[in-house]
Amino acid sequence: MFKILRDLLRYNIEFTIGFILTLAIFLFALAHFWAPMPDSAIYLLPPDMPPSAEYWFGTTSRGQDVLWQMSSAIWNTMLFGLTVTILSRLLAVAVGMISGYLGGRWDQVLMTINDTMIALPNIPILLLVYFVMRDSMSWPVLAATAALLGWNYDARLIRSVTLSLRNREFTRHAVFAGMSMRQILVRQHLPYVMPVIFFTAMNNLIWAIGLEVTLSVLGFSDINRPTIGGMIYWANQHQAIIAGIWWWIAFPIAAIVLLFLGLFLLAISVNEYIDPRSRLSRMGA
Amino acid sequence: MLDLIDTKNQVTTRPVLQVEGLKAYYQMNYFGVRREVRAVDDVTLTINRGEIYGIAGESSSGKSSLIKTIAGAITPPLRVVEGSVKFDFGGKMLDVYGEPARMKKARWQHLSYIMQGSMNVLNPVRKVKHAFHDFAFKHMNLSGAEFRQRLESHLGRIGLDPRVLEAFPHQLSGGMRQRLTIALATVCEPEFIIADEPTTALDVLVQQDVLALIKNVQQRMGSSIIFVTHDMTVHAAIADRIGIVYAGRLVEEGPTVDVFHRPQHPYTAHLIASLPRIGDTRKRQALPGKPPNLADPPSGCRFHPRCPLAVDKCKSENPPLEGRGNGRVACWRAGEVEAA
Repeated sequence: MFKILRDLLRYNIEFTIGFILTLAIFLFALAHFWAPMPDSAIYLLPPDMPPSAEYWFGTTSRGQDVLWQMSSAIWNTMLFGLTVTILSRLLAVAVGMISGYLGGRWDQVLMTINDTMIALPNIPILLLVYFVMRDSMSWPVLAATAALLGWNYDARLIRSVTLSLRNREFTRHAVFAGMSMRQILVRQHLPYVMPVIFFTAMNNLIWAIGLEVTLSVLGFSDINRPTIGGMIYWANQHQAIIAGIWWWIAFPIAAIVLLFLGLFLLAISVNEYIDPRSRLSRMGA
Repeated sequence: MLDLIDTKNQVTTRPVLQVEGLKAYYQMNYFGVRREVRAVDDVTLTINRGEIYGIAGESSSGKSSLIKTIAGAITPPLRVVEGSVKFDFGGKMLDVYGEPARMKKARWQHLSYIMQGSMNVLNPVRKVKHAFHDFAFKHMNLSGAEFRQRLESHLGRIGLDPRVLEAFPHQLSGGMRQRLTIALATVCEPEFIIADEPTTALDVLVQQDVLALIKNVQQRMGSSIIFVTHDMTVHAAIADRIGIVYAGRLVEEGPTVDVFHRPQHPYTAHLIASLPRIGDTRKRQALPGKPPNLADPPSGCRFHPRCPLAVDKCKSENPPLEGRGNGRVACWRAGEVEAA
């Protein structure tokens, strides 16, 4: 594992930049555990202070330190994104692989469900769920809802890969040698599907973070829990741009852009960790 | 290859495989129209312990369907309509289509199957050792270390460095992959090996190597092999007996030497005559016509539309496969053909 990481860092410049960016943002987000004040406290500090030696990123009109707010906000946003990604990957892999491997009636039923989900528009559904749930809407519920909406394209993609693997010689021999369906899917097909899962996972993470920001900016989430979108929501509520409090908006946006960039670079280079052929060709072997 | 033919095989008279009246058809039902392709039609054959049996025939004659059915590796639309396939593994009879649970256990342990395109048996994204682990480990009742030891000595006998276990398939040459496939099929020391075109994708040098290897492994383990190929030189090199398949039926069967030197069936005679010979510069005659459509085979003897010796009886009555000399032949005018 360390060897692979070392090789990737040494031979792949995209991975190196993406890794450093994502790691830096992760460490920054991790720092909120050592924040000097709770992230929900307001009017603790003098409001509207510009960036200075004392308040690096300035303070908000609500008397919060932008630095520590952002730290919590990125942590919460990443947590949301990862939850959505893991849940939706489980669904996409299970549905895609079973559908592709079994074929026939199972394939028809699962893909009908899948295509119906694809046809549903995401944002209106999420808003509907928000209005129905209202006060009981917590971020895990929102994450589960987003996960239910975010697996279907990738399930189709994974299905198409499994569909071609089903007729390959190694699958037919595995069936003959008495491997069960679960064993074939996990041991023979999953390594092959892995690059697809990884790549779509990164894309899905970016999509989920974007979705969270969109909903929070509009105020359709738990507004007392700091997130990147939530910070922008409060900045808009206090008309930060008109009031000239630019640091309240600029720093969260810069953070999210850097996070997107880091994840994107990781997404395009992480294939090399999974696919031995491209890794070797990059190393000149 | 001559030294291969000269090594005498220890053929016994104890049958290990008995196929009786086997009929396997592709049955399809598209939009209410039933179509039936008779790929294996009434095949009866016996293979003894220690014997190498070659099946020859042209493309789409049902060779692959036949051994797929023997291996019990068929999936719809191919179905067994009639007949039985029975193996004798260590005195216990095993009916392939009668006892699915026991058959599942016997696979790979007693009966291994090298399918067509076998160079691709290895999963391209996993190391070679995983293939051995997945296919063979659970059948052998060994601990991890013992299994590894057995594997390495087995590979050594086949002429492969144990380091290949740590390689990915794309790092190996075609010949090495083919050797690995054979290693994979023989690591459990099965009594019976089924091989579909085991050497077709290889050039003649590697082919010779692989054939010697197959024969070597087979003799050491005393197992039986049934293999399919359209390459008659491969049959000449390793088969003890040859069965000629035409349009889903076994039309002739006999010891390799007899089939090559005294073919009884007109189709076999043509097949042998079409082989190039050193020093002979005459143009080879192609057999006129095409292999019949198995969805609508000709009446009577299926070879009659292309047969130079056909008489009226051939068009109406199907000749039975009957003993003649050392072998069996299904032809009304058997033996009348001039040896080429």
